[in-house]
Amino acid sequence: MEFIWDPLMVTAAMLLCSAVGYVILLLSRMGTKPRPNPEKNRTYACGEVLKPEELHPDSAGFFSPVKKVIKPFYRRVGGAHTGDLNRYLLWIAAGLLVLFVTVFLMEVVLGWAL
Amino acid sequence: MELNYAVAMMLVALGLYCVIAKRNLIKMIMGLSVLTDGIHLFLISLGYRAGGTAPIVAGEMISDLQGFASRAVDPIPQALVLTSIVINVCILALALSLAVHIYRNYGTLKPSEIRRLRE
Amino acid sequence: MIPHSPILAIVLPLLGGFLSPVIGILERKHGWRRATGIFALIVMGVVCVVVGSMVTDVWAGQFIIYELGGWSPPWGINLAVDALGAQMALMIAGLGILVVLYSLSYMRDETGLGQFYALLLIVIAGMMGTVLTGDMFNFYVFLEIMSVGSYALVAFRRTPEGIEGGIKYLFIGSIGTTSILISIAMLYGLVGSLNIADIGAKLTLYSGNVPPALTLAFALFVTGVMVKVAMVPFHTWLPDALTGAPTVVSALLAGPAAVVGIYWVARLPYLPFGMPVGVILVSLGLLSMVVGVLMALVQRDFKRMLAYHVISQKGYMVLGIGLGTFGSVLGAQGGLFHLLNHSTYKCLLFMCAGAVLLQANSQKFDELGGLGKKMPVTAAMFLVGSLAISGIPPMNGFVSKYCIYLSGLELGQGWITAIAVVVSALTLASFLKAFSSVFLGQLPGRLEGVREAPRPMLISMAIMAAVCVAIGLLPAIGFNIVGPAQAAAENSVGYITHVFGENYLAAGGMMP
Repeated sequence: MEFIWDPLMVTAAMLLCSAVGYVILLLSRMGTKPRPNPEKNRTYACGEVLKPEELHPDSAGFFSPVKKVIKPFYRRVGGAHTGDLNRYLLWIAAGLLVLFVTVFLMEVVLGWAL
Repeated sequence: MELNYAVAMMLVALGLYCVIAKRNLIKMIMGLSVLTDGIHLFLISLGYRAGGTAPIVAGEMISDLQGFASRAVDPIPQALVLTSIVINVCILALALSLAVHIYRNYGTLKPSEIRRLRE
Repeated sequence: MIPHSPILAIVLPLLGGFLSPVIGILERKHGWRRATGIFALIVMGVVCVVVGSMVTDVWAGQFIIYELGGWSPPWGINLAVDALGAQMALMIAGLGILVVLYSLSYMRDETGLGQFYALLLIVIAGMMGTVLTGDMFNFYVFLEIMSVGSYALVAFRRTPEGIEGGIKYLFIGSIGTTSILISIAMLYGLVGSLNIADIGAKLTLYSGNVPPALTLAFALFVTGVMVKVAMVPFHTWLPDALTGAPTVVSALLAGPAAVVGIYWVARLPYLPFGMPVGVILVSLGLLSMVVGVLMALVQRDFKRMLAYHVISQKGYMVLGIGLGTFGSVLGAQGGLFHLLNHSTYKCLLFMCAGAVLLQANSQKFDELGGLGKKMPVTAAMFLVGSLAISGIPPMNGFVSKYCIYLSGLELGQGWITAIAVVVSALTLASFLKAFSSVFLGQLPGRLEGVREAPRPMLISMAIMAAVCVAIGLLPAIGFNIVGPAQAAAENSVGYITHVFGENYLAAGGMMP
């Protein structure tokens, strides 16, 4: 397949489109000026009072929808990363065994050569 | 010399077992040392020739180099093993000093309790 | 070419490493500031000049062979530099000097710098040796030099996380290099030689019926290389080591140390074994890509997330090289090009994380926020790096990922391209979270006094970001480097002919 990619044209196109978008933003700001007041700037939290420090998104729960969709993966693979050194070394031994069996089957039994 | 190879493979297997199954860092380090000793025995046995002489050319052997080469033991594995022993002494020293620091910081040498960095 | 430049490129950092503690003692006695850092910078500058002269000669078509001590192969050790080795040496030298420049200001308040720069320069010497050598056991020795130096560097500050990361890296890395040693021992027993070209020539005699011992040697060698490249399931040392280490060491391990692993992955299907490994590479690459990015989505720690992304991006490279063995030239070029790009933007990302850690004293997402106003240059660099790693044009990551996507379609396996695109999207998602958690949002009260990072760090980051954008806008720069490298990797016959002469391969590897 041909590697068809003209970066200068694409970059020029991106910059042109961003410039057009910025011009539209400036025009809209000329139309209606922003009028901030403290009431508007406060974060709406369904009637609760929040301090700015508490507004940080929880870093582990940020992708909870993704986690829920692929829950079996996280239970198995995430649970397998226990932090226990002996278990990690067992994975390496198991991986070596799997690799040896794979190469043996491919080379000797099926006769694939490069 | 089949016995050499059998013992070397047994050492490698025992060392691997110690590293995987023992629950104490010092025992795991000992297993690593046994593992590399097995490999060194394997390497040295590769160059062995039954009834051979040491591969050092002295005065009277220069006249008969062909005969000397057919009687001497292979010197290359000896050089490889010397280098490898030095490397493994380095790793052993580093591992033991790290184990001392772990004991000071964590109070234990069991890998199942040295798990602050998990998942 | 400067005479003796292959061996100078290895020996100069080694010598500099041994002189660093002396400079450290002099620095303490006379009260000079940053003397060891500037000494390391000078050494790396000279190495860059030497490597540059060597590389321009290789790209002009010459295959450099340097025989150590005048002994000709296979009785002596020789250094063989073809286009693949040239690319790797260039990357190690370039990234090395930028990391040393970064460390000048990162380590300004720390003591014991004589030992730190000694270990750093020795690690760089080991990396140079691994990619320039033409002898198997020499490769093992330089690999151990690089590994043992980095075990010590990871645990350098003796923090609990550093030591824990260091000992886990030590055990897993040692098992990897030990399996490489067993493999070399078995190869010596089978073939009787240690020279890579010689083993390649002599193993062609076995191409019909392969003895099981050779299969076991090959499997052990592949395992050892995969441990070094941190593919799943051999990857467990990488997140722990990169989280606990000082950021300079993390940047060093994520950038140049990846070069060594991928150099051997690129040589695996061709020299010295000629055995089929394409299926293994493709499957391990796909597995690492997916597992790396999915584990990175749920991390709380900045550097740990970047470490899982290293695993994912290395999966791309191994996938590309694996697709190359099935006949797709674009795939192998994409894999090597991705290595070139990955080292630049990954070092850049780690340097940004280090700048944030230095100024705000924290590397967890929950404790950071709103630093975009206080550290605008760092935020801009992080944005460039995030766009590059996600494969968004006009950055360089897009070009190499596009090559890998195209090669998947070229071979008719559209599902590989689909998985690669989904992984890119998840990478972008995870970096959106990182950028917004650290640089956007509200500034916590205790981070009010945070200022911009010091100047040398910003210079390093700016150079890397400029390289990212430059390669993205003019991909011909990258293809000029990577095209000859990929051709040289596949050309095992050419390698053997250059080292030994015309009739060696035909004579079955016997000297006349």
